[in-house]
Amino acid sequence: MRKLVVYDTLGFPTPQDFLKFSEGLKGAGCDIYEVGLPPKYAKYDGPVIRRSHQTVSKFGDLSGSLKEAVEVSKVPVVVLTYLEEHLDRLREFLKSLRESKVEGVLFPDLLIDFPDQLEAVVSKVRSEGLKNVIFTAPSVPDSIIKRSGEITDMFLYYGVRPTTGIPIPVDVGALIRRVRNMVRSDLIVGFGLSSESDLRSALRAGADGVAVGTALITELEGRGVTGGLALVRKYREILDGA
Amino acid sequence: MFKTLGVSVAPMELNPRDIVPEFWYNIIPDLPRPLPPPRDPPGADFSRIDLLRDIMPQEVLRQQFTVERFVKIPEEVRDRYLNIGRPTPLLRARKLEEKLRTPARIYFKYEGATPTGSHKINAAIPQAYYAQAEGISAVTTETGAGQWGTAVALAASMFGLKSSVFMVRVSYEQKPMRKTIMNLYGADVYASPTNFTEAGKRALSRDPNHPGSLGIAMSEAVEYALKQRWKYLVGSVLDVVLLYQSVIGLETSTQLEAVGEEPDVLIGCVGGGSNFGGFAFPFLGHGTKARLIAVGPAEVPKFSSGKYEYDYPDEAGLLPMIKMLTLGREYVPPPIYAGGLRYHGVAPSLSLLMQEGRVEWREYEEPEIFEAAKLFSETQGIVPAPESAHAVKAVVDEAMRAKRDGERRTIAFNLSGHGLLDLSNYESMMKRFKS
Ligand SMILES: Cc1ncc(COP(=O)(O)O)c(C=O)c1O
Repeated sequence: MRKLVVYDTLGFPTPQDFLKFSEGLKGAGCDIYEVGLPPKYAKYDGPVIRRSHQTVSKFGDLSGSLKEAVEVSKVPVVVLTYLEEHLDRLREFLKSLRESKVEGVLFPDLLIDFPDQLEAVVSKVRSEGLKNVIFTAPSVPDSIIKRSGEITDMFLYYGVRPTTGIPIPVDVGALIRRVRNMVRSDLIVGFGLSSESDLRSALRAGADGVAVGTALITELEGRGVTGGLALVRKYREILDGA
Repeated sequence: MFKTLGVSVAPMELNPRDIVPEFWYNIIPDLPRPLPPPRDPPGADFSRIDLLRDIMPQEVLRQQFTVERFVKIPEEVRDRYLNIGRPTPLLRARKLEEKLRTPARIYFKYEGATPTGSHKINAAIPQAYYAQAEGISAVTTETGAGQWGTAVALAASMFGLKSSVFMVRVSYEQKPMRKTIMNLYGADVYASPTNFTEAGKRALSRDPNHPGSLGIAMSEAVEYALKQRWKYLVGSVLDVVLLYQSVIGLETSTQLEAVGEEPDVLIGCVGGGSNFGGFAFPFLGHGTKARLIAVGPAEVPKFSSGKYEYDYPDEAGLLPMIKMLTLGREYVPPPIYAGGLRYHGVAPSLSLLMQEGRVEWREYEEPEIFEAAKLFSETQGIVPAPESAHAVKAVVDEAMRAKRDGERRTIAFNLSGHGLLDLSNYESMMKRFKS
């Protein structure tokens, strides 16, 4: 079965609605829940997700919300955050995620800004009882995509656009065909993937699932939790039908 | 793919259609480490990446971000390549070898043979083609020495587009002939900084006699394209430009194979890095063992003094930041220096390969490249562009090194352009360096 990975920023749109949204995810057909911790510099995020970071910065310390979200969502939770900001205190950070019962962690800048630390970070994550989700992109060479496919734990994330939420024209099918046969792990495709046609091209080209974020944040901003969950259901239908 | 391109027949039997490739080559899948992607600055007030959609032709943008090892060259573009005389010649510089009494064999790919006199046309043709196919009516760009502006002016006229070129003021004043050619092809040419863009006005308010820089002219062209709802054509630095320029190296590789040669050293000059990448990267794709040498001016010391960091390609910062070796976007080269290669940064893929030590670099001073240009002109008869004379100087040094080592090395270099419209540069050098 194809996997639907849903992204939301921790505490967005409000801490209460964030939990309501988290609670409804499993029923709406979400398989994996990616929760974003607002960084100082969201290097690869477009304006919509950056705005969500600003919104939640007003709510103060949200670490309790993470634990609650894990409990109510009842699907595996992967935390997304930039490695740059946790490198100094990586072990403590990973421990705190483990205490919140988070399943895995995804650092979008690991391979790109810290390629020499790939293996070291991957084993540190495992030794703290967490799983790795390695983030790759078209700018990653074949040899390193292959290696990442071997060592990632839950699935390999492949971001097809340079930034989340900005519909840069790319040939999604061609990008996925390039890497599909290099990796045996599950290949989950994301970044700027929201249009139905993009989603279908990704699946046709061999993606094992998709990750959606910006479109959901926009929906949560506009129509709240009900709208957000309705959109999750719609993606589920596309995945099951396509 | 590479095997089918390397038709092994005697040179006489090679037909132009067998040499001009059917696919461009992209180095990114074969790099030794991930290429940091273009990105928005921290706390950005607007998204530069989003703005790219208004700046560049859609298909060019699509090719910039749809990374594939080989990209099909549209038949119409390939046809234009053949029409302007591609493949360009691969020549052996026997008289230079004799003069240097070197055991090395020296080959050069002569990109000066195109109608505009440099390699730049290779990237202008596809971009103008895609712009036209998308229903765009006009294009803009910047130019320093005028080689890129000339290429855009010709490519635009080939596809029935209007073009406006922002030319760095010092060059505009020193090179009236370049302006004449661009006008002849139908382009409007402006001396940058102008006062019809914000970036230009800012520069002029700092200094009413501002000599201009490529970074400022680039910002002006981008801003103007946005204002007019035209498209901007990019002349170097971005991955997609190096992709288009790969025709140089793909042809060279076929041509060398046809004469049974395997290069030991590959040399090219570097402004933004497009002729170097176009020439040398396809050999890396083949897994070549050759040494690669990138050459730049000591007067614009981006190899020796540049930092490898995220910086803007243009002075105003309208384009996304890219990770490159850079002297800073506000860098203005010394005004009397006439050797070209004045851009402040180096293409991200080339910067990465230099950081990794896979590509070596050299920097030479103007008198040295002047002497090399003179030697090449006297022995081989072709007046090299001052930019390309940097490569020639490195070739001479490598040929002398082969002599010291007593080895019959094969040196191949890219003669990126001729210097027939740069004679004022040489005149200035003759006056300044007369011994
Ligand atoms: C003849 C010639 N060679 C080389 C260059 C340097 O540019 P690039 O490094 O992009 O090839 C230029 C730039 O204008 C040029 O005109």
